[in-house]
Amino acid sequence: MNQYQLNIKADDKQVVLERILQVARYRGFLISGITASVNTGTNIGVIELMVRSERSIDLLVDQINKLIDIKEVTVDNSASQECSA
Amino acid sequence: MASEQKHTGGSLLFSVLQEHGVKHVFGYPGGAIMPIYDALYDSEVEHFLCRHEQGAAFSAVGYARASGKVGVCLATSGPGATNLITGLADALADSIPVVAITGQVPTGAMGSDAFQEIDVFGLSLACTKHSFQVTDINDLARVLHKAFAIALEGRQGPVLVDIPKDIQLAEITTTLEDVSKLRNKVKLPPVDVGHAISLLSHAKKPVLYVGGGVGMANAVDELRTFAKTTNLPSVSTLKGLGAIDPEDENYLGMLGMHGTKAANLAVQECDLLIAVGARFDDRVTGKLDEFAPNAKIIHFDIDTAEINKRRFADAAILGDLKVNLPALAIPLAIDDWLASCQDSKITNAWRYDHPGENIYAPAVLNEISQKMPKNTCVTTDVGQHQMWAAQHMLFNDPTNFLSSGGMGTMGFGLPAAIGAQVSRPTDCVIAVTGDGSFMMNVQELSTIKRFQLPVKILLIDNAKLGMVRQWQDLFFNGRLSETDLSDNPDFIMLATAFDIKAKEITKKSEVSEAVAEMLDHNGPYLLKIKIDAQDNVWPLVPPNTANDKMMESI
Ligand SMILES: Cc1ncc(C[n+]2csc(CCOP(=O)(O)OP(=O)(O)O)c2C)c(N)n1
Repeated sequence: MNQYQLNIKADDKQVVLERILQVARYRGFLISGITASVNTGTNIGVIELMVRSERSIDLLVDQINKLIDIKEVTVDNSASQECSA
Repeated sequence: MASEQKHTGGSLLFSVLQEHGVKHVFGYPGGAIMPIYDALYDSEVEHFLCRHEQGAAFSAVGYARASGKVGVCLATSGPGATNLITGLADALADSIPVVAITGQVPTGAMGSDAFQEIDVFGLSLACTKHSFQVTDINDLARVLHKAFAIALEGRQGPVLVDIPKDIQLAEITTTLEDVSKLRNKVKLPPVDVGHAISLLSHAKKPVLYVGGGVGMANAVDELRTFAKTTNLPSVSTLKGLGAIDPEDENYLGMLGMHGTKAANLAVQECDLLIAVGARFDDRVTGKLDEFAPNAKIIHFDIDTAEINKRRFADAAILGDLKVNLPALAIPLAIDDWLASCQDSKITNAWRYDHPGENIYAPAVLNEISQKMPKNTCVTTDVGQHQMWAAQHMLFNDPTNFLSSGGMGTMGFGLPAAIGAQVSRPTDCVIAVTGDGSFMMNVQELSTIKRFQLPVKILLIDNAKLGMVRQWQDLFFNGRLSETDLSDNPDFIMLATAFDIKAKEITKKSEVSEAVAEMLDHNGPYLLKIKIDAQDNVWPLVPPNTANDKMMESI
């Protein structure tokens, strides 16, 4: 099981957070942590998502990228790790 | 220059639809969508009243698939909206551009468990490409334009727009925007064809694997030119049927669970598989680890997320097939391989010399395929009849074969045929259905009656849920659990009740005349053919088995 941190930038739209969580669950990633904030000036939301899975993180990055309101998804390698759980 | 106009939310909806060229919509009214139906009363958009919202959604899907335009359906809040869901899921799985409009309770009542309130916006997350809920009349036109743009751009798909009743009633003075400006392009990395060209030119046994993406990208001509220039042997998925010219001597037929032997053997043996708008679906690959085990992969797609999803791509060619296919069209020296594929095609060709007096469905479908007018659009339901249609009918364009692929939804065929007939009023439309599937949206016979749509229905009656019965016989020790339909209604009487001419045949000797009568008939027609309940679809690759280990009989 690997742990990854994704940094996601998204338009501050209705349900964007729900969409991200739904995609993560459906694609087989367990959510182990999340922080989210919105810059009210730019209306851009920044979401840090910690996920665990046996699957390659590219699968999730590609699927989240497909969501219409997403601006950018990056994997934060410094915060990602293999874990024994 | 367009001038400012006064609108209600409802009338603005129809103005925007017309701006996008929408002439026909499918729907069903109800309380929370009444202002929209009131505006429809004055609109030039033609509405087809279906008899269940699922029928409306599938008609919109059929309309879109047969015409390449966006299909539009309408439903009220609550149960109306939930009835659309199956159709939207089907459109998502098969990447079909549909815009669904749902009424919602007024914004002030939202979140109060109001009468016929359901969180359809929440429900839409798993079954649409994108969705909107409009809570300000000033957003309505922009959201609707975006809905059309999203449905069509990149990998196509369904978009839902949920409009609360007060927004439908709200008044606004607005100038309609220029729709062309709103088309935003999906950003993809630049294509590097170098590696793919090298893989192609070194391959000794390459195969072209054609998927539904070709038709969706409107790239049938480019694909055929590519196939001709490279001279590649080709195979097709269910949704790809019609993309390759079916008369092409190098075309080996459908691959996968019920694919032809020639197609599956070629793919299993190939050293390079060129996937074009296809996604390595499990019904195609069989046991994934043993699918095309010796092949390198070139994968053409518009959707980045399909690359490496189920099979690693040695070369990924992302983007518009119309641009990318010509870039790789080089002549190949593969004569020995081609000859062996052609041999296999001949050795394993279908046979229609079925013994006995009983009607043999594959032969009937083959006969219809040969006799039906050019540009006939065939829809299917789901089950054995669907696989027989895919195997034994030939289609010269993907818009001429509409079948629920990704979702495999029974009940698809009849309403999809209605949508197809509305979009192509002068073409022949035939719904090939089974006695189980037909009953799932049988109420749509009413829609056929009302609009006098000349849809032909071929009902292949085995008095069973045939495909499930086949699996119970093969893989569950013949324990036939809940698959008997021997108490079916009298389908002839049923069709007649909807003013649809109907006929039943039970013997092989009656087939030719009955097929001719159906095809010659001007209006709607139902032909029921009785087949043996034991007939199976062959070949069959058992679940979790490599595609070369197909069963060919019991
Ligand atoms: C909505 C839905 N429910 C259940 C199924 C499972 N299923 C697949 S094929 C089939 C039997 C179809 O029977 P029929 O329409 O008579 O076609 P046949 O296989 O006999 O040709 C069933 C129940 C499905 N595909 N879709």
